[in-house]
Amino acid sequence: MASVAVVPRTARARTIRRHVFIYLGLMPFLVIAVFPIFWMAITAIKQDADLYLVDAVPFWFRQAPTWKNFDFLFHNTSYGDWIVNTMAISFWVSVITILTAVPAGYALARLRLPGAENLGIGIFMTYLVPAIILFIPLARVVSMLNLQDSWWALVVVYPTFTIPFCTWLLMGFFKTVPFEIEEAAMVDGCGQLGALLRVVLPVSWPGLITAIIFSFTLSMQDFLYSLAFVSISEEKPVPLGVATELIRGDIYFWGSLMAGALLVGVPVAIVYNLFLDKFISGITGAAIK
Amino acid sequence: MTEVSPGGPSPPGSFSVAVGQSVRTLPWWRTPTARRYLFGYTLLAPAVLYVGLLVGLPFVFSLYLAMSDASVSSPVARFVGIDNFMSALENATFYTALRNTVVFTVGAGILKGLLGTSLAFLLLQPFKGRKVVRALIVIPFTLPIAVSVLGWKWMFDSQFSVINWALSRLGLIGSYGSPDWPVWLGQPGLALLSVMFVNVWRGFPFSAIVLLAGLTSVPPEVLDAAKVDGASFMQRFRKVIVPMIAPILFVGSAFDTVFTLSDLSIVYLLTNGGPDGATEILPTLAYNTGIRGGALGRGAAISLFLFPLLLPAIILLLRTLRRRQY
Amino acid sequence: MSHERLAETHPTTLSRRSFLTTAGGAVAGLTLADMLTARQAPAQIKGTNLRLLIWSHYVPAYDVWFDKFAKEWGDKNGVKVRVDHMPHLELPARYAAEFAAGAGHDLMYFAGQILTGQYYRNLVDVSDLAEGLGKKYGGWLDAAKSAAQVSGQWYAVPDFFISIPVLWRKDLFASVGMGEPKTWEDLRKAAGQLKAKGHPTGMQFSHCNDANHNWRALMYCYGVKETDPTGQNITIDSKEMREALKFAKAMYDEGMTPEVFSWDDASDNRFLASGVASWIHDAISAFHSTRLTNPKVFEQTFVVPEVAGPGGTWNVGEPNVWAIWKFSKNVPAAKEFIQGLADSQKDAMQASLGYNMPFLRGQYTKPMPYLGNDTKLGKLQDQEKITAFLGFPGPMTPPAQEVVTTFIIPDMFTRVARGGAIEDTMKWGVGEIRRIYAKHKAS
Repeated sequence: MASVAVVPRTARARTIRRHVFIYLGLMPFLVIAVFPIFWMAITAIKQDADLYLVDAVPFWFRQAPTWKNFDFLFHNTSYGDWIVNTMAISFWVSVITILTAVPAGYALARLRLPGAENLGIGIFMTYLVPAIILFIPLARVVSMLNLQDSWWALVVVYPTFTIPFCTWLLMGFFKTVPFEIEEAAMVDGCGQLGALLRVVLPVSWPGLITAIIFSFTLSMQDFLYSLAFVSISEEKPVPLGVATELIRGDIYFWGSLMAGALLVGVPVAIVYNLFLDKFISGITGAAIK
Repeated sequence: MTEVSPGGPSPPGSFSVAVGQSVRTLPWWRTPTARRYLFGYTLLAPAVLYVGLLVGLPFVFSLYLAMSDASVSSPVARFVGIDNFMSALENATFYTALRNTVVFTVGAGILKGLLGTSLAFLLLQPFKGRKVVRALIVIPFTLPIAVSVLGWKWMFDSQFSVINWALSRLGLIGSYGSPDWPVWLGQPGLALLSVMFVNVWRGFPFSAIVLLAGLTSVPPEVLDAAKVDGASFMQRFRKVIVPMIAPILFVGSAFDTVFTLSDLSIVYLLTNGGPDGATEILPTLAYNTGIRGGALGRGAAISLFLFPLLLPAIILLLRTLRRRQY
Repeated sequence: MSHERLAETHPTTLSRRSFLTTAGGAVAGLTLADMLTARQAPAQIKGTNLRLLIWSHYVPAYDVWFDKFAKEWGDKNGVKVRVDHMPHLELPARYAAEFAAGAGHDLMYFAGQILTGQYYRNLVDVSDLAEGLGKKYGGWLDAAKSAAQVSGQWYAVPDFFISIPVLWRKDLFASVGMGEPKTWEDLRKAAGQLKAKGHPTGMQFSHCNDANHNWRALMYCYGVKETDPTGQNITIDSKEMREALKFAKAMYDEGMTPEVFSWDDASDNRFLASGVASWIHDAISAFHSTRLTNPKVFEQTFVVPEVAGPGGTWNVGEPNVWAIWKFSKNVPAAKEFIQGLADSQKDAMQASLGYNMPFLRGQYTKPMPYLGNDTKLGKLQDQEKITAFLGFPGPMTPPAQEVVTTFIIPDMFTRVARGGAIEDTMKWGVGEIRRIYAKHKAS
């Protein structure tokens, strides 16, 4: 092992030094990002009484760890329904988002349309209209569509905040697709639409995946719309269900709350990461061929 | 793509294209430009319609609300002009909320930008365990906000805070009950910092990912060329990388700013604007006045207050970016 | 430090949740028998649907009882009943959405935040139902009208209110030579002496529901009147209010720690359960949860309905009322349900472990359900005599509601506790209140 004091000349020593610096650099980030997650995970398997012991170690157990909180989650609440609802909602919202944002992103990126710039600005502006005001007219829309108290109401409403962002995201991706590829396809005889479908989309699949993932995560963040539109327990998405049914005035079911959050957040993070990897290697690999 | 229109006078509004020896005239709607426009607007239509109907129209409605004396029980009410905006200005708490909102958004934004950039660079390097690190780093962003904020509530608790427990065991602060036991959500400056911190905690992975996307789209040939030319890392960074990621950085920050400006969950769940307005931000003030208090018109005015300020700022930002690209 | 020892809990095999739910389950069995002897609802509602929205009760056992009651009532009357629960602080947002949508639940619950004055034009006039109940059960408390009437007509039917008494530690008080506290001065004295021993007290100086209630209790005990009885004129700018603020500052300095500025509705419960608190001013849900999490502390915890101030003894309750949307498609069933529930008030009280306090005078004959059998809680049987609601002595009007949701009173007390000048604070607070009332008058 090369000592750090000696200026390393060998490639191996350089690698090790680089690794050390990287790990040191990452430590603060990891601690900040992950320590709360770790604590949440411990809390999820802690007994309630253990939480309130003033002098107990919060990172370990004084009373034996338990699966009781997870058990409670699945047997005493509609958590199972909530997970299914959340996944279904996110799926459909992603579908709607892709179907609308992909063409829009492409049009804005490629087709040099007049007024495109203003539309780009308009994209941002939609986020300035706060949900706390929007939910009232949207309640009317939801009721007109007869979707009150159904999670389909959320499928209709969530794209309002996923579409603008994903349009911008996809716009950025489409801009990096080399024009030559499209031209080649069009020379070969497909129309502009054909070029889009057959050439541009396949090449930008990392962007599509990213857009889908962002749709998913943005959908899982909402609280206000689900509160306003869904009051039936079995139709609730996870964030609403957990926040409304695992807190009763002064009793916070901390263990189950944390369990409920982790069960839905961690898998998404893992999937996210899987695609992130492919997306990055895809971009660097396939750049300009 | 082009059509030959044999003989005859050119119809008004058409144009002629010289192709080879013959002149072909086309009606305007068949020109390449027009076809491109048609194609383009058709592609745009679904998104524009969806957002226009579900956000645009309600936005107009909320503008109307902001200029009426509407309440939750009577959304159709009298027009009062800018009365509600004036009323907001008469409210001392409004200024506090405005100031806090600006401090919160700008402060958190800077932190997220700095942390996100540093993290993106670190993640760009190949090293063992990178996949695991990336997966872990992303979790704060994927956890539903309502629940992760509640977790923080417990972590900041005045009696049972893990942070205080850890700091106290490390000897950095006194024990529970002593004067230097921080009350994260109770001391005015500290409370605002705490809510900002939670926002940064959630947001910097997002910034890092967006930046990572930007950084990886820098063509390696350009970087290699710079390396070959003898540029040092700092020079490469400043002259090559920064200009290429600046657009993504700016646009990402702009999105993040607007997301933060309209988010009320963090403050609502941690302190609901207390103590005595120390963490009051425009969204919580608007919610407590307009929805829980029922004064819809005034609530709408408070929440839309920043709109006229941000609109020109964003227009300026986007116009500048566009110019830089061409 | 003594509080560390007391913080050790017995490993209980009976979890808090199972205690609270089995209690409810045991009681639920009573209701069927009761109902079979109660009156039959008219046939016209057979085969219809009824949707209810009610809050998530702080005593989970009550919700178990209530859901069972609703189902059995539905079965007996041929009505398909659906009950949804929601945390009470989020109900106003839901109601705003339902109103905008023109659709939602038939029967809804205003819990704490009374929106009768806000929505009355869109609520069914239930005067006949309310007057009938009043006649049957000995008359309504005066305070009931504040939450349910507008211009003399009933637009809501009061269900229960929640009492917020004083929970105090007998052993700690005894250690400084004090017995049961009778006045706010007693509380202040005890807190001052016990803080030195590591047992301060705490009342929330923050943006939470409890803060609105606790400080008003102090205010009313000092003789402060928020408005005149019509609710139109603001009378809070008084010597008494200044006295109350001064007292609060003294009590904070002597008996509390800065952590109270970050407290939410549940913090004082935890404070009591941890063994640290010498006393708290909180609803008896804290009492019940301490029984489970810290039996040692619970043994020493006693209840005083309220302590006296120079202006009298007033306890601030949180009213809960039923209201029916005009757009409901099943108003008759909604009315029948309210009637049926009112007829089962005794069971409801028992199921709530004494948490629910009736609005009907006739329900106060002793022994009252649950309270009458509990030695510590027995004194709460006279609570109705000293109960006032937010806005006292005026009714809970929309401007009063806005003053509540924007936390002006807690902010005033916070400023003073932090060292702000009383006059400046009064000027700010009263100014804000006037501004809000003026805005509501204008519309």
